[in-house]
Amino acid sequence: MKEFKKIYYSVLSIAGIILFWQVLSGFDLINSNLIPPPTKVYLAIIEWAKSGELFIDFSTSIWRGITGLLIGSIIGIMLGLFTGRNQTLDKILTPVLNVFKAFPPVALLPVFITFFGIGDFSKVFSISFATIFPLWVNTHLGASTVPAEFIRSAMLLSKSGVKIFFKIIIPASMNSIIAGFRISIAISFIMLYVSELAGASSGLGYQISSSHLAYRMDKMLGALIVLGLTASMIDLIFNKIVKYFFPWVQLNKII
Amino acid sequence: MSEYSISVKNLSVAYGSFSVIEDVSFDIRNAEFIAIIGKSGTGKTTLLNALAGFIKCNGDVNITDCIGFCFQNHSLFYWMTVAENIGFGLNNMNNTDKKHTVNEILKKIDLFEYGNKYPKELSGGQMQRVALGRAIAYNPDVLLLDEPFSSLDIFTRDQMMDWLIKLISELKITVVMVTHYLDEALVLADRIFVLKEKRISNVVNVPFAKPRTQAIRYTEQFQKSKQELSDLLN
Repeated sequence: MKEFKKIYYSVLSIAGIILFWQVLSGFDLINSNLIPPPTKVYLAIIEWAKSGELFIDFSTSIWRGITGLLIGSIIGIMLGLFTGRNQTLDKILTPVLNVFKAFPPVALLPVFITFFGIGDFSKVFSISFATIFPLWVNTHLGASTVPAEFIRSAMLLSKSGVKIFFKIIIPASMNSIIAGFRISIAISFIMLYVSELAGASSGLGYQISSSHLAYRMDKMLGALIVLGLTASMIDLIFNKIVKYFFPWVQLNKII
Repeated sequence: MSEYSISVKNLSVAYGSFSVIEDVSFDIRNAEFIAIIGKSGTGKTTLLNALAGFIKCNGDVNITDCIGFCFQNHSLFYWMTVAENIGFGLNNMNNTDKKHTVNEILKKIDLFEYGNKYPKELSGGQMQRVALGRAIAYNPDVLLLDEPFSSLDIFTRDQMMDWLIKLISELKITVVMVTHYLDEALVLADRIFVLKEKRISNVVNVPFAKPRTQAIRYTEQFQKSKQELSDLLN
């Protein structure tokens, strides 16, 4: 019932915004050449889907986004666990990581293109690079603040360091890791859009930019909506996965 | 086999330049129940942590490797079910034996139906029972309890005391318990160590025969012993 109410209010608020937008367009209160009405945007999405391009753009972006996010996340989580639990590694790695963290990933995109070309590799690399840091910082925080009682209990109950690492430290850091992952999902979509502006021939970001250049505002808004819906969908799927595999995590307290 | 489970000689603990415990020595016999009492900040928990090997200390501490420890705030692994918490320390068992042992412990702590629940689904008293169950699951020789009932309300605490009396009489293991409550110390312990000014100032032999029930709390002798303990603390 609670879940149904949540969906009900979400649909209601989105429907309200669309209706408001349609009314503004209907009464010519906004310039329809710049912001076409929802009906026109809807028709543009249908036309885009029928041509088969929507599927290609969607799947290309999903592939780039998810691959980049997963690679970045694995690296970020591993770094966070290492620096959070090992003082020597913390002293060696943290200053270096802090230097890289200070660079805006968007500003580094031309550097990545110079090194790796305009193909998919540079796009995936830039997404990975940008998603490493939120996960590193959050995982480091979680791993370094595991309550001493947990570690002490575990050390009395088991002599295996590997068991304590996988069964105590990682689960006890999970709230922070998940918080970092959700930030990284949002950042990966920003980087996906930016990376597809340069040297791409398909993808949702590419469609937004090429439609804008062709002055197809209906298609541009359509592509933006699809990109936004994709990001929300991934966040939703992620929440379901977390609920299933980590039932103790209180998602509502994270974000 | 030695007569003593724990032998401590000239134990001192300091945090930096701040001394918490100074030159403490004692022996604890097998299957003896010791209560450590003292005002806040007298180093009761520090002494227990030193016995468990959690903190660095000076002096000799001879204690078995097989220790069960129960923290003040239960410290259950909240990502594991009750059964998984209890089974965590059962390292050298196959799955069938492990399941059997966990079920035995669940029965012992009166939570047999709660094996698949998570700690957040339990009450304070139930969580403390799981923490004790986890601590005794692998048959430790010594059980260290750090104010295990201090976070519970007075009714639950009394219930837990009854339950602990029964459990300890079945297990016959050495127990060292830190507590603020004189009633708890007098009902449960064989001897009481009074911690004062960084040292054990007095060792009191509890004058009540075992097995005990909480009914002794309403006797004149109990009130007298409690008053004497209170005087020793002040």
